[in-house]
Amino acid sequence: MNTQLRNDEILTTHDLTVDFGGVRAVNKVSITLHKGELVGLIGPNGAGKTTVFNLITNAIRPTAGQILLHGKSILGKSPDKICRLGISRTFQNIRLFPQMTAYENVELGLHSSPKYSIAEAFVRLPHASRIEKGTRKRALELLEIVNLKEHANERASSLPYGLQRRLEIARAMATSPQLLLLDEPAAGMNEDECNDLVKLIHEIHTAMKYTTLMIEHHMAVVMDLCECIYVLNLGSLLTQGIPKEIQNDPQVIKAYLGERKNVRTANPS
Amino acid sequence: MELFLQQLISGISIGAIYSLLAVGYALVYSVYNFTNWAFDAFMAFGAFMAFTAISSLFLPFWAAMIISIVLTILLSVGTEKLAYSTLRRRKAPRLFMMISAMGVNLAIVNLINKAFGGTFRKFPIEDVQPIFIGNISIGRMDLIAGLISFGVLGLLWLFLYRTKWGLGIRASAIDILSASLMGINNDAVAMLIFTTTGVLSSVAGVFYGIKYAVYPMMGIVTIKAMIASIVGGLGSLPAAIVGSMILGILETMVSGYISSSYRDLFSFLFLILILLFFPNGLMGKSGEEKL
Amino acid sequence: MGYINAIIILGGINIIAALGVAILTGYTGLFSIGHAGFMALGGYMSAILVKEFSVPFPIALLAGGFFAGLCSFIIGYPAFRSRLRGDYFAIATLGFSEAIRLLLNNTKMIGNINLGGAFGYMNIPSHTNVLVVVISLILALFFAHMFVTSQYGKNCIAVSQDEVAAQMMGVNLLKTKLTALFISAFYAGVAGGLLGFYFAYLSPSFFSITKSSDLLAAVVFGGIQSLIGPLITAFVLIAVPEFLRSLAEWRLIIYGCLFVVVMIFRPQGLFGYVEMNLNFVRVMWNKLFGRKTAKASEG
Repeated sequence: MNTQLRNDEILTTHDLTVDFGGVRAVNKVSITLHKGELVGLIGPNGAGKTTVFNLITNAIRPTAGQILLHGKSILGKSPDKICRLGISRTFQNIRLFPQMTAYENVELGLHSSPKYSIAEAFVRLPHASRIEKGTRKRALELLEIVNLKEHANERASSLPYGLQRRLEIARAMATSPQLLLLDEPAAGMNEDECNDLVKLIHEIHTAMKYTTLMIEHHMAVVMDLCECIYVLNLGSLLTQGIPKEIQNDPQVIKAYLGERKNVRTANPS
Repeated sequence: MELFLQQLISGISIGAIYSLLAVGYALVYSVYNFTNWAFDAFMAFGAFMAFTAISSLFLPFWAAMIISIVLTILLSVGTEKLAYSTLRRRKAPRLFMMISAMGVNLAIVNLINKAFGGTFRKFPIEDVQPIFIGNISIGRMDLIAGLISFGVLGLLWLFLYRTKWGLGIRASAIDILSASLMGINNDAVAMLIFTTTGVLSSVAGVFYGIKYAVYPMMGIVTIKAMIASIVGGLGSLPAAIVGSMILGILETMVSGYISSSYRDLFSFLFLILILLFFPNGLMGKSGEEKL
Repeated sequence: MGYINAIIILGGINIIAALGVAILTGYTGLFSIGHAGFMALGGYMSAILVKEFSVPFPIALLAGGFFAGLCSFIIGYPAFRSRLRGDYFAIATLGFSEAIRLLLNNTKMIGNINLGGAFGYMNIPSHTNVLVVVISLILALFFAHMFVTSQYGKNCIAVSQDEVAAQMMGVNLLKTKLTALFISAFYAGVAGGLLGFYFAYLSPSFFSITKSSDLLAAVVFGGIQSLIGPLITAFVLIAVPEFLRSLAEWRLIIYGCLFVVVMIFRPQGLFGYVEMNLNFVRVMWNKLFGRKTAKASEG
């Protein structure tokens, strides 16, 4: 294990592994993300990509391996602590707060750690009011960035699918992350919507300089946006490289097109 | 020593009754992810039906038992169809399902109260001589309750693990959506599960009524079963049985050695202690949500 | 006249307790069938403080509420800390409430204090009157409104709608739930205290599952994520049975059926999610007190 920490390594996983019963969902996956990178995580269905996200955010505990954020282990930390440390995410099956408005969804990201004391909550002194004004302003700014300001007062559950995906991104940004995990942001989108999304993510990335790890199936989106791509197959890292390399890699092509039955066990040979 | 064995046997017998309830609870929880508060009512209903069959219709015990089981099954399945199925299909949040279940419970328990009155009734079977082994007396009904309870659980095990329908239920417990995609009929599974619940709760109700008394609020004992299920490890049927036996024996010990009025208090404290030190329950498996 | 007084007092007390349950169940989504237990804890504690230790009435009332709140950690901490999805908390509330009732039923004496066991705690000074209840009610409503519109309250709402997503976005689930629980127990405890000082007598039988069910009913019918709804319903559920004595035996049966009907046809209750109600209170408050609070989503 390379113990030398380069200053711009934001996230590193070492041999990250998780078993569900007899099935090894993620096998010794080692990823390194550098500051400001926009990295893709691709692979056929069932490859374990979302599981990697779940491991990083500690929605599930790894069976083995290490996860380092800025060189410090985040294993075993509660998901909300991990968020406060700088990792935010979107979800494969959108998880917005359905009965809250778009505005309220984004605002939640800003105050998930309340910015004033509980006593001040009961008696809202000018100090707390000022904080709330600031929060309001910032939430509206974020909605503006994802072009959702007109929909601010609409219930999240009544928004069209594409807008919901954008809203999730805005909410994730609200937590002021250093690392943004996007889980299939383009899922279910047609070509036009994908193009808009690519533009949006590119704008956000350029402006905010978030380190971003993106799971995606739309190859066009991945190739357009990502500087570096990791390929996962059946839980293991197949390869990694720049888009051009990945596109032409026969292993990758086989992984996607191959119809072989592979049974994963806890002891892969 | 004799007191100890006496209490042990009594504890096993009550543990057996708790097992029936705990398994019923765990079954519904593992498939539908909510607490079926109406279980409380089903148990009381089963007991009262058997009681009425014997005391008003003068039927023999076994006939009363069967009538009770059949009627409780009808009640249980009816509840599913009326109160739960719509919410289930709508994928309503757990809170709503629990409110609906609590509604059913309130309605039925209070209906029983209105119809029969709140007096504690003695179950109308003749006092039977206990069996003596040495100086220890084993209540004959305790023995029968234990045997029948374990018999029912054994049949259930056979059903779940050796039949096609049981496989369907177990698959649904893992993931309802996938199970239905595999061709398993969700509604049929619901029927089966609630039929099973009906059987378990009526048998438990009758034997509990025999051991203690029959009264409208008797179903409150299902909370012990829920506690037992949690203690064992929520979602697992064998764990529910283990938890029930442990709880039944421990609380009978407390009742015998300390005081019977503190028995229920003990059960509750036991729950808290277990949750503090074994957040997964004693044998629990992790049930993490799919993201 | 005394009859109307009684309804106002009992209705007001019920509202205060129901507001507590609203915060826990209506706003945070946590099912509780045990708040009668918190009422008992607060009630007995404040009664003991005044009768045995001559603590001034308002302080005793608050102390009773705090005591109930602290006791809530006994079930809250183990239940919420658990990483697993389970109805631990719901079950624990039932067990807790019953355990309290049993404990009180079986406890005649604590030291020199005669609690009376099942016969009840007698000769409590009579401090509750209409004025006291109305003042308590206004304060209760005010602080509840402040809480649910604060960042803490909004976090509770997020937890009720998707606690996994909330946690991933940085909400500390344990703290949020414990806070909501504490406040709800506090409210119930104060309500219990007011009850004791009204009847001048407390009995464990006041604090049964029936009472907890009544409180739950106020929130289920009144509405999820609303204060006005449970307020109205809590009052109606006290007042109406007074006028419909003949239906008294059927009351819980009707409630039970209504629970199912409401869940199937209108799960959000009568006034659920209706933002306007909160703004209404806020607007009225502003008009009365002239404090500037801007509306949440102008833009």
